[in-house]
Amino acid sequence: MLKHIEIYLRSFFDKNRHHFVDGGKYKKLASIFEAVETIFFIPAIRTKNAPFVRDGLDLKRFMSIVLLALVPPLVFGIYNTGYHSLQAGGGNLTFFNVFLNGLMTVLPLIVVSYAVGFFWEILFSVIRKHPISEGFLVTGLLFPMTLPPTVPLWQVAVGISFGVVIGKEVFGGTGRNIFNPALTGRAFLFFAYPAKMSGGSVWVAIADTASSVVNAVTGATPLAMTALAPSFKNIETMLSSAGYTFLTLFVGNYPGSVGGTSALCCFLGAIILIVTGVASYRIIIGGVAGLLISSFLLSLFPSVSMNPWADINPLYHLVAGGFAFGIVYMATDPVSAPGTDRSKWVYGFCIGMLTVLIRVFNPAYPEGVMMAILFMNLFAPLFDFIAIRMRVSRRIPNV
Amino acid sequence: MREFVSVAMKTVRVKKGWRFKINGTPSPEIENRLEVKHVAATPSKIPFIKPRLLARSGDQVKIGSPLFEDKKNPGIKFLSPGSGKVVAVNYGPRRVIEEIIIALDADESCETFETVDAKTLSRLDRKTLILKLMAGGVWPFIRQLPYREIANPKLKPASILVSLDSADPFQPSPEVCYNNQRSFFDMGVQALRKLAERVTIIQSAKNRSIDWLNQLVTHQVLGDYPANDPGVVLYHTRQSPADNHAWYINGQDLLLIGEFLSTGLYPIQRVISFSDGTIENSKHIKTRLGIKLNELYSSHENMDHLRWIVGGVLSGYTSHADGFLGMYETSVMVIEEAQKSEFFGFARPGSDKLSNSRTVLSALSSAPLKVNSDMHGEERPCINCGYCAKICPVDILPQFTYKSIYADEIEEALAHGLLDCVECGLCSFVCPSKIELSELLIDAKHMYRREINQGA
Repeated sequence: MLKHIEIYLRSFFDKNRHHFVDGGKYKKLASIFEAVETIFFIPAIRTKNAPFVRDGLDLKRFMSIVLLALVPPLVFGIYNTGYHSLQAGGGNLTFFNVFLNGLMTVLPLIVVSYAVGFFWEILFSVIRKHPISEGFLVTGLLFPMTLPPTVPLWQVAVGISFGVVIGKEVFGGTGRNIFNPALTGRAFLFFAYPAKMSGGSVWVAIADTASSVVNAVTGATPLAMTALAPSFKNIETMLSSAGYTFLTLFVGNYPGSVGGTSALCCFLGAIILIVTGVASYRIIIGGVAGLLISSFLLSLFPSVSMNPWADINPLYHLVAGGFAFGIVYMATDPVSAPGTDRSKWVYGFCIGMLTVLIRVFNPAYPEGVMMAILFMNLFAPLFDFIAIRMRVSRRIPNV
Repeated sequence: MREFVSVAMKTVRVKKGWRFKINGTPSPEIENRLEVKHVAATPSKIPFIKPRLLARSGDQVKIGSPLFEDKKNPGIKFLSPGSGKVVAVNYGPRRVIEEIIIALDADESCETFETVDAKTLSRLDRKTLILKLMAGGVWPFIRQLPYREIANPKLKPASILVSLDSADPFQPSPEVCYNNQRSFFDMGVQALRKLAERVTIIQSAKNRSIDWLNQLVTHQVLGDYPANDPGVVLYHTRQSPADNHAWYINGQDLLLIGEFLSTGLYPIQRVISFSDGTIENSKHIKTRLGIKLNELYSSHENMDHLRWIVGGVLSGYTSHADGFLGMYETSVMVIEEAQKSEFFGFARPGSDKLSNSRTVLSALSSAPLKVNSDMHGEERPCINCGYCAKICPVDILPQFTYKSIYADEIEEALAHGLLDCVECGLCSFVCPSKIELSELLIDAKHMYRREINQGA
């Protein structure tokens, strides 16, 4: 069966290639043809220069591993979205039903994100005569996973457009962007349409059976809840009285963004990324260390304990909100992260530290990790610059 | 067996590098392949020389007759590796002399040079020795870092590095090359000591089967390819910038120098390793300089789909069945050409894919794999994954260095250690974006060399 498909596709591409080469009807669309073909076939290109044998890893495989690592939070996110939607709207809470319900909410977000994002990718590739890069496969999935399930689809389209065009293409495309494109898109939505991106009413989607319009009901995220009611002396008691025990937060079964609630699933993803060597363990471990150490240090200062997040058990910072998702999938984007080993530690640590600082000192933005990562993206070239200068000064010169 | 460890021996640990996982490591078995019809000199494979022909097509030459010399440095002569008639001088693009082919006579005759024994060698002064080696055509075996051109006889290096073996298992193993060659080796080392104060003899810590050789080794190397490269050892042992000016020579070529001095004849034999990926055919072959490649190997099948690689898969050059072995090269490898596009290649678990990364299933095992000449992907922009920096044996940051080369920031590239690059090819090998990093760095080095030579 698979063999037949392979032969059919092979002959299909070979038969139609002449339209897309020089002199063909659709020469301008060559990059689309190439992109579609290489989804199915890794072309046989012979080495011209030494080394004559090359590594079996290419960018497609690299990005596929990231997609694979995104599967646990995605599947859980779909289930979680469906669960809270059905729970709020009243419905049959069987696994299948919950999953299907979640899929109905989440799938349109993903489809719109990919469709609109690919439109821009293709447009820029055709104009620049570049091949279409695989990086967008990851961006296009990461972006909807950071959004609340109730976000209108047109906002998804606007957000991903901003992320791809302003976050990436204006800098020259894949490999040249300063900021993580998915987070850039999210930050744009966050500030442009705050009503749909934050607050207490956007995190649970219920499907109106009559019109299938996605509506929202109240269901605050744990982070938002603590921001709304900072008078509680002990945030842990408050959270658990609302049903958010440490375990719930860790597993992620609470209303929140589509893919970002479950620290457990992000942990599974992190294991995939670290074992395969696709993401830098330095950034992830550095980030976790930065978060834990700085929240511990903050809890030592009595003056800041007015703020509910200041003297919480540091582990709560780890499992609450989107930190786990951000540090595992967003901060490790190699393009926007620094490239030298030492600066990766510093970069990760600073993300963790900034996340805590934003949560503690600026309760208006309880979700600090997005801003922390974007801010550190900005600093990544500086970290690299310093690290390279240090390396160079240790080297015995050879000129 | 008693382990001989000379008092002065140092251990050099090279942490970065790549352990070969390729099928068909040559066995220590050795076969003689000395009866050949043609040999050739290949001037285009000798870096940075401008050859001027000293023999024409149709001329009769002996072993050791001059074939060509370097226009820029006329004293450096290249001698004929065979006796017979020059049947062809083949030119490549832009009239580069690719090969000078000699059809061998049934009984070959040799030019003779004055022989030297250990005592006379010790009395020779440096200049006379250099002239002797140049006249005898063996000077070009001594090369100079960092550009790897033929050593400039007017200079005096801080040291000469001799590398006896390679961490590439497809290069000849020392137990095969140096067995019973002690007198030539000693003679060669004695000659090198005349040329430089310091002679560093490098051997892998794993290859210690010849006792007399172990005693001569000054630096044993622990590490994966290209740990034994003279450039890598120099990088890890140098104390000051002055040490950068070093010469180096392959251990087998040192035997040739020793042989030349002792016998007064231009040496023409060497041991190479051959591999076609199978166990039966992969072995060592004692053969002649400049042998035609298809005299080493011919399979019954059509050989069009085969790639002939001379000098190692990672840093050598591509040749073809009718090509000839270059004077510096000691290995020949035949691999499959890339043939067929791979259906859903990125989604396959990759139990048969060769990769330095852990993204393939084969990473779980150390079993050697079959390889071909496929790029395994298309060129893409650099995503700064850092795989190149993680493997570079001399701690260059290729992902940053190549960008500074693109931006014409040659000073920055030099500060990163551009000239320390040992041209091992590992950065290009691991790059998932399939960027020709190694090629770019080497080109930049060569450009810089041209510029400073013009300025002088």
